[in-house]
This record gives sequence, C-alpha cells and structure tokens, in this order.
Amino acid sequence: MATTEPKLENREEEEEAAGADDEDTGAQVAPIVKLEEVTVSTGEENEDPIIDLKAKLYRFDKDGNQWKERGAGTVKLLKHKETGKVRLVMRQSKTLKICANHLVLPTMTLQEHAGNEKSCLWHAPDFADGELKDELFCLRFASIENCKSFMEMFQEVAESQKKEENEDGSTAAGLLEKLSVEDKKSEDKSEDKAEDKTKEGDGKDENPSKDTEKKDESASD
Amino acid sequence: MALPNQQTVDYPSFKLVIVGDGGTGKTTFVKRHLTGEFEKKYEPTIGVEVHPLDFFTNCGKIRFYCWDTAGQEKFGGLRDGYYIHGQCAIIMFDVTARLTYKNVPTWHRDLCRVCENIPIVLCGNKVDVKNRQVKAKQVTFHRKKNLQYYEISAKSNYNFEKPFLYLARKLAGDANLHFVESPALAPPEVQIDLAAQQLHEQELLQAAAQPLPDDDDEAFE
Repeated sequence: MATTEPKLENREEEEEAAGADDEDTGAQVAPIVKLEEVTVSTGEENEDPIIDLKAKLYRFDKDGNQWKERGAGTVKLLKHKETGKVRLVMRQSKTLKICANHLVLPTMTLQEHAGNEKSCLWHAPDFADGELKDELFCLRFASIENCKSFMEMFQEVAESQKKEENEDGSTAAGLLEKLSVEDKKSEDKSEDKAEDKTKEGDGKDENPSKDTEKKDESASD
Repeated sequence: MALPNQQTVDYPSFKLVIVGDGGTGKTTFVKRHLTGEFEKKYEPTIGVEVHPLDFFTNCGKIRFYCWDTAGQEKFGGLRDGYYIHGQCAIIMFDVTARLTYKNVPTWHRDLCRVCENIPIVLCGNKVDVKNRQVKAKQVTFHRKKNLQYYEISAKSNYNFEKPFLYLARKLAGDANLHFVESPALAPPEVQIDLAAQQLHEQELLQAAAQPLPDDDDEAFE
C-alpha cells in the first residue's frame, strides 16, 4: 500500500493544477448546433449489479501475440431481474463508453494470469460495439483480493447458469410455443390499434389497459 | 464533416482538426479514445487520418470526425486543405520537449488563417513524465488567444476526456452538457460448441503467459 501513496499525491497535485486550468478562458465562439436534453438509458435498468469493481481491461491481439489495453473503469456483473441471466458490462471511466458487454455462459472458464496475480483472463463473444466479436479478455484489478472475489463470483454465476440450463432444457419446447403465441398476440394488438384509430380517437386510451391484461394472462400461464 | 467515402450519421457531427509538432502524441491520443490501447511505438502520420469518434451526452449522441494530421513537416502534405471547414481544433504539444511548445503559435496562426473563430483547446501532453521541460506555469499562450488549456496524459488517461467535453460544450453553447452512460444493449444468445471451447482453452494458456503492457503502473482511475 505504502508504495502507491507517493503516486496518489502526485495525482492530487495534477488535479489541483488542472482545477485552475478548468476555468474557461472565456473564448467567445458562437455555438453551431442547438441540442436538446434527451432521456438517456443505461440499458441496465432491469438488472442488479452483483459485483462492481474498478479494473483495467485488456484484449489479446492474436496476430501480434500481445495484450493491448482496452479501457480502465468499472466492471460489473449484472443480473437480470426477470430472466436471472447475468452479463458482464465494463465502462470506461469519464467517457462512460462500453468496453466490454457479454453474457456469462456456463461454458466459460476464468484463468489466472501467469505473471500477474491481480489478473485473470477468459474468452467471450463480446457485444461492446453492437456486433458479436470473439475476444480474449484480461482484467487487472487493484488488489489480489478484488481479483479473487471477481473470479469466484464469475465462476459461481457460470455454474448456476449451467444448472438453470439443465432445468430449462425440458421446458424449452414449451417456452418456444409460448413465444410464438405471444408474437401472435402482439400482432393482433397492432391490428386492433389500427382499427381503433380509424374508428375513433378514444380507442387509444383503452389499449394500454388491454395490453397489461394480456401480459398478466401470459404471466400466469 | 465526413469524408466522401465515410458514412454519415443521423446525429450531430463535427470536424475536429488536430495539429501540433510531430511526436507530441496526436495519433496516440486519438487511438486511445478509439480502441483504448496505448501505442508506444512512434510511427509518423503521413498526410492526414480521419477517425470518427462518438460520445454520449445528456443531449444525445455526438460525433467528432478527428482529422489527425501529420506533425512532421516532410509528411505534412495538403495542410491548409485539411483545415477547411474545421469546426473545432486541438493544438497539441509535448511538455517534455520545449520546442514543441515554442511552435504552438505557428500552428495556431496557420489554423486560424483557414478556420476563423472556432473553439480551440491547447493540450500539453505527457504530463505523466517526471522530467517536464515545460511547467504548467510557463504555459501562457492560451491566455493571449483565448484558448482553453488542459494538461493531459494519453498514457495515464489524465484529463483525456476534457478536450472533447470542452469542445462539445462550446459547439452546443451548453456549459452543462456532460457525458452519460451509453446504453448497454442486450447481447444476443450464443452457443459455444465443444471444439471452439477446446480451442479457447488452448489460446487462454498461451495468452496467460504473455505479460500485460503496463504491469508496473499501479494507478487506477
């Protein structure tokens, strides 16, 4: 711990210097766009974090046979409130952009890094850029303890997904049926709406309650 | 302002021109934002490279087309041509090389000849290096010219988001604009077959033996 202290002090000095620089020097330039505040979504609203740690992420460059930095920030394991599925999401600090985003699958295994005991690596189909890409990731944590607790949690989740998959296996066919039925229902709904609109404007108000009724039905199936 | 062969987007985009002496870290800075990696090798930029860089703000998504220009005279190429229609700019110097700061006025003059009255950020890069040649107090050029000044480090990510945040605020005329978490889309379900899994495990072993690029660095943002 003591070894990191001087660095932290430097950091604070830097911060102070920048604090003064942060002052706008008062450049008068006319704005060229008008932007309106928009509602923002993290995409994580239906999930609960089960772990949340600071870390540095690397991806393995197979061609160059070397690790490359991908981002530094916060890594989370997020459990979906309804489906129970767990995914890993990591965001770059300050810009808050996503640098990793993938489901934790039962087939996944974590491995310790041979030369760094604060680090572990794994393979994942990553969706950070909105398209699936096979990546070999490595996370470096601030401490061995953090690395350990991350690894334990990750493995535990992977194991639990394995069990759920087995249990689901038998009912998978049933689920599929249900899905197709629901699809039909929603098609019907949109037709209803179209009709309502042509008949009278009031129909709109009825629809939301109808929708919830239908959802309730399917949930109690 | 996109290049003819570059896709246009349906959200606000801006042409950002990045200038400064060769070796001050312009390309490394852009790359850091694009992929997260920190490139130590110096390969001079020839002419110009244009990279789209997206940010998520409370006023929606915005894009900077970063015109990363050659700093070295002999690789300069079109120069004025690169500046045309520039809507904002970054002038970079290296705090460990005094000459790069001395040349800032020249870059500023050339830029302003083509781009009148655009928001400009002056960046003193490499502040992570112990032996600085240009101290923060010695940097005064920005005061005369009403530029914003930030001390940055592409290596440690210190202040690395500030230049973009400042420019976005000025372009939109909104001092409260800030970065928000980009939506983490639900990753699609994937099945990993046994053959792929075995290959992954082999790759993991190989990768686990490769050192991480910045193992010595303890600092975490």
